[in-house]
Amino acid sequence: MTAKQETTVLKGAHVIDPANGIDQVTDIMIHEGRIAGVGEHIIADDATVVDLTGKYLSPGWIDMHVHAYGTLGFADPDTVGVYQGVTSFVEAGGPGIGTLDEFFALMTDLETDLYVGPFIRPLGLLGLNFIEGDVRTLGDVPITRWVDTAKQHRDRIRYIKCNAMGDYGPGTLHVTKGLAQILGVPLYMHIGEFQLQTPDPVLAYEAFKIAEKGDMITHIYHGNLGQIIDDEGKIMPVVTDALERGVLFDLGFGGYNFSWDIAEKAFAQGIVPYTISSDLQQFNVIRPVQSLANVLSVMMHLGMPLKQLIECVTVNSAKAISLADRAGDLSVGKPADITVFEIEGGRFELMDCYTQTRTADKRVMPAMTFKNGKRFDADMTRGQAESNWFLQIAEDHIPDATAQLSERQLAFLGKLGTALSETDWELSSAERLDIPKALELQALFHRVREQSDLPLREALRAVYDSFVDNKFTMQIGLFLMRLERPFALSRMAEMAAKRPHLAA
Amino acid sequence: MTTMTEHAWQALKGVNAETATFPARASFEGEGIVVFRTKDGYRGTQRACPHMQATMLNGELTANDTMVRCPLHVFTFKLSDGKGVNCAGFRIKVYEVRREGETLYARPAAI
Ligand code: FES
Repeated sequence: MTAKQETTVLKGAHVIDPANGIDQVTDIMIHEGRIAGVGEHIIADDATVVDLTGKYLSPGWIDMHVHAYGTLGFADPDTVGVYQGVTSFVEAGGPGIGTLDEFFALMTDLETDLYVGPFIRPLGLLGLNFIEGDVRTLGDVPITRWVDTAKQHRDRIRYIKCNAMGDYGPGTLHVTKGLAQILGVPLYMHIGEFQLQTPDPVLAYEAFKIAEKGDMITHIYHGNLGQIIDDEGKIMPVVTDALERGVLFDLGFGGYNFSWDIAEKAFAQGIVPYTISSDLQQFNVIRPVQSLANVLSVMMHLGMPLKQLIECVTVNSAKAISLADRAGDLSVGKPADITVFEIEGGRFELMDCYTQTRTADKRVMPAMTFKNGKRFDADMTRGQAESNWFLQIAEDHIPDATAQLSERQLAFLGKLGTALSETDWELSSAERLDIPKALELQALFHRVREQSDLPLREALRAVYDSFVDNKFTMQIGLFLMRLERPFALSRMAEMAAKRPHLAA
Repeated sequence: MTTMTEHAWQALKGVNAETATFPARASFEGEGIVVFRTKDGYRGTQRACPHMQATMLNGELTANDTMVRCPLHVFTFKLSDGKGVNCAGFRIKVYEVRREGETLYARPAAI
């Protein structure tokens, strides 16, 4: 590489770097992937110069609530990362202690830094929202395993997540809080009910009571049961108490969790998020969430000033999840994680998660991202491609990716099929999921994998690639259970028969 | 053919095949259904999405008219048997629908 490629000067953008008190037109120099200088009229010999006149530039955005992995995840998570102005994001609850090994094995090739906030349930999020609140799905909390795993992956685990919903009282919130204390990470709680029961007490308010300084509550403007305002539209005292104690409020827009009505009332009373996150997943990327930028546009329309918007996705999120050593500001020496964006004028319909829209006259639109100095031009459409979010089992054809499977992977599929033929399973229903069966299938997968001496990633990919065209991931027990049994067995046998020495 | 199945064809109420715009609201044995115009003819589904009860009147045909997608959270169902594609465990009722003049006839799809 020549020096020219190693040094880049970003010229003429309006830089907003709240942590360093910068809010003016100035230049940024990147050298070898790090911020090398901030100031007016930087001139460097042999540097690549990017003219950003008329654009804004901020530290790379951090989205602390996305679903990149698992039942809600994307085939290509970078589509909602570096391609949409986001340089770091956190998987919010996709895996639990029983599936973190799968998460770590699979989520390795991303351009965007992916952290994780594991779920208290060993399996992680189930993706069936009627039963997410059922305490009987939670299973064990193996403390020793949590401690060992957290020690091994301290750098990637940023919070522990639980859902404050369901009808069994606040016990699970206390359990999760206890675990978070043991591991020394913040507690991250979902509020808002959407299961079939009508719980009493409503756990959202228990969440506000249990949360301590530095703990986080997400979906603060949701419009479901357990809102932060009362029938008269006034902020509930438990909410203001929590805020005064130093509990951090996160937006978590999502597919169910943002109501214009609630947001307008709460915002008018001074309840604003400390961090802005998207909750992007398979089921909301088309609408209403689309991107973190769209969520910023929503907050801008609500009345949040630009500088504060940027704070909420840079320095605040970095502080909330202890990333300030490497992200959230443009100090010299930090990794060159940078988002360049524009404020576009026009007429824009901004949807909430219910039926309300508001018409805005401006919006936030990413232009390019630098991740460790590497440039990505924004592409707001690739996240929306069906291949990125529509997880479909390839029932009528064998996915092309199987052509890359090794002989060992094919042999493994044969053994897995044989082992599976000795047990029985049925697809879940929307109201019922056979968790013990999912765990049994998961254990069976691991047993065959160990016998085959196949690395976890290769074993997982062998299964996914045999059944799905795009690079989706899912907890293996849940994935196997989703397959129709006769079809699964015959496809695995078919794959095993493809082994070269058999074919020859 | 009809004698072979449990359900006989029934004329759909509340919809005129000539003047309706599709997807169209109709009623089958007192239950609200939605009739879609597909490449091959017609197909009916239950009115409310089994996820969170959004109306399937806003449903979008996809996969060469073999699936219908609820726009609210993109749960997608096969028109052949009603099974959830990206939402295992969820299922929608589907109806065979045929047309004679102004009248649409329907019966629950044999699955
Ligand atoms: S209501 Fe239809 S997908 Fe959610």
